Amino acid sequence: MYRGRNRPRGKASEDNQVRGPNSALTQFLKEQGINAESIRQKWLKSREKDKEESNGKVKSEDEDESVSIAKPATKSRRRAIEISSDDDDDDDIDYDDESEEAEGDSMTSGVDNDENKDQVESSASIRSAESRLKRFAVDAEDSDEAEYDEGMSSRTVSETPVIEISQEQLEQKLKKSRQQLQQRKRKKKRAAELLDRKTRRISTLQDTCIAQISANISRLQQNTNSSDESISAQIRDTLGGLSTQNMNKLARTLSKNRALNDHTLQLFLRTELQTLAFHDCSRLSYEGYKLLAIFAPHLSELSLQMCGQLNNEALLYIAEKLPKLAALDLDGPFLINEETWDRFFTRMRGRLKSFHVSNTHRFTNHSLESLFRNCGDTLVSLRLCRLDDVSDYSIIPRCLKVRNFERLALEHPSKEEYVTDDVVGAIVTAAGRKLKHLNLNGCTALTDTTIVNLKEALSKNEGAESILESLELEELDQISTDAMVHLFSQVPMPQLKVCSLKRCLLLEDMAVTELFLNKAGEKLVALTLNSLKEVKGECFEAMSCPNLERLDIGFMGCANDTLVKELGDRNPKLEILEVFGNNLVTGKAEIRSGLTVIGRQSDTL
Amino acid sequence: MSEVILVSKSRVEVPISREAASVSPVLRSMLSNPFLEQHQNKIELLDIEPHVLQKVVEYLEYHQRYMLVSEDEDIPDFDIPTEMSLELLLVADYLNI
Repeated sequence: MYRGRNRPRGKASEDNQVRGPNSALTQFLKEQGINAESIRQKWLKSREKDKEESNGKVKSEDEDESVSIAKPATKSRRRAIEISSDDDDDDDIDYDDESEEAEGDSMTSGVDNDENKDQVESSASIRSAESRLKRFAVDAEDSDEAEYDEGMSSRTVSETPVIEISQEQLEQKLKKSRQQLQQRKRKKKRAAELLDRKTRRISTLQDTCIAQISANISRLQQNTNSSDESISAQIRDTLGGLSTQNMNKLARTLSKNRALNDHTLQLFLRTELQTLAFHDCSRLSYEGYKLLAIFAPHLSELSLQMCGQLNNEALLYIAEKLPKLAALDLDGPFLINEETWDRFFTRMRGRLKSFHVSNTHRFTNHSLESLFRNCGDTLVSLRLCRLDDVSDYSIIPRCLKVRNFERLALEHPSKEEYVTDDVVGAIVTAAGRKLKHLNLNGCTALTDTTIVNLKEALSKNEGAESILESLELEELDQISTDAMVHLFSQVPMPQLKVCSLKRCLLLEDMAVTELFLNKAGEKLVALTLNSLKEVKGECFEAMSCPNLERLDIGFMGCANDTLVKELGDRNPKLEILEVFGNNLVTGKAEIRSGLTVIGRQSDTL
Repeated sequence: MSEVILVSKSRVEVPISREAASVSPVLRSMLSNPFLEQHQNKIELLDIEPHVLQKVVEYLEYHQRYMLVSEDEDIPDFDIPTEMSLELLLVADYLNI
């Protein structure tokens, strides 16, 4: 049954009425003069002829003959099947329709011919049913078995009296065969979907949209000359266009759906975008980064998270092709080696203002030194997080030159002893009062000395206020209440908007009370007190933060229904209150309108 | 089956059954207990263009209709006009559908 697939279809395609492979089969049958009507006519003619010859014979013989006469028709159908069987399953269905048509025709003619009505009906339907059954058998089995089965079936036709198979049985068999065919198709579809990693039967609208977008981008890329500069604009126009403001929103959505790749990247090329943040670049190839560098020349701030495929060449391209680039945030650029970092910083000399890097083992002490050597004059924002190969953080205070250093984030050093009180003390002293953002999350070796140094640095001029906007000291489990009281009572922080003391396990009520009494309370927008287990709740009596929008009091033993109500009343702008791990906050808690409490045990989705 | 009205930009109202609206976790939450939308049976989505919202409603009804069909039944594809795909993606992201 294996046949070549190069059957010429030229004629079929020339015919304007022919649509697709199904119609090609119909066309072939037409060319060969095989159609339901001619088969019927032929059969009727031979039937009449036989009838004349065997006029005096008994009825039973007549029936047998009708079966044997029916054979040529079946055979001609079989020939059609054999020829068409190199097409897909769809052809089978088409053939099915054909045979149904034939069946229909026979039925109609049967009505006209009163004498032969019953016989014509039964024999024609049996014949078409038999041929269909055979065809399904051919589809279902391997080719060898199919051929054997085919032989068996044709023998059955000639030897077994057809009358033994009742109409009901036939219908059941037909129904079963149809179901099997459908089931096979369904399985095929499911398998294809699984290969596309689709486990849910109904795709989400987001997936459908992304598939549509990707397909269109591919199509347009194929149809348009790759050197055509309007392709990106054309893609955006075709897909409905998007404002520049929504570009970053689109980037976020694509990242969230893990759908940002070299194709979808086209959406962001040749735009006036100045700031771009990709939260998941894991599918972006180094070629993609190069395209971005070439075709988005106005970028001044670029954030590439999970950029594992960013290689040396692409990073240097970014430095070279983005003349306005001043801020770069890279997460996971582990392909970039020491030499390339060096070359990159050399190229960025005089313009790199902000450099954030995290999760790479190839950013070394030497790279850090190179950063300050080349870009130290302009650098005002630095974030180093989870860098396995940086051990000497004292390079920072040694090389820090600028007077207006604004942001420092040293997070989760590979060993806690790398970031010590001395290092941080030296940095904050060097940075001085200009510091706006300080983040020391996960630097667990830090003690009260750091806090005292910070206080000294921030209050160099007596009476002057600090301009600190965010202070994050998460997981500093050695800092004490006394130190924090000292800091908050001595340094007014009227600009403080974000404060996190999460898991500073030694802190007690007094430390938090002092924060609320500080001018900080007026501007504070987000406060995290998660896991301060020594806090008993008295501190909240002093709390009045008119601008506070988010508060996290998760895993604080003192949190209960009364406190939740009180916090809602005291902070008019509070929108989100997190209470994870507080089993005393129950479903009975009174929550004022506009406030959302997240993390209650009683809340189920 | 109760009905909910979704209000789009230019205050065009699109009706939808509560069951279909609940396909979106965002709309479901809005229609749940503590929120005003539950009593009003009206959700204002004033950032969404009317034609996009209409498509969203079509999707929600499509999803609700075929959500519980048996393994054996075929589910037709949901068609999206190409020129609407970017806008629709952002709205789908917002509604988490």
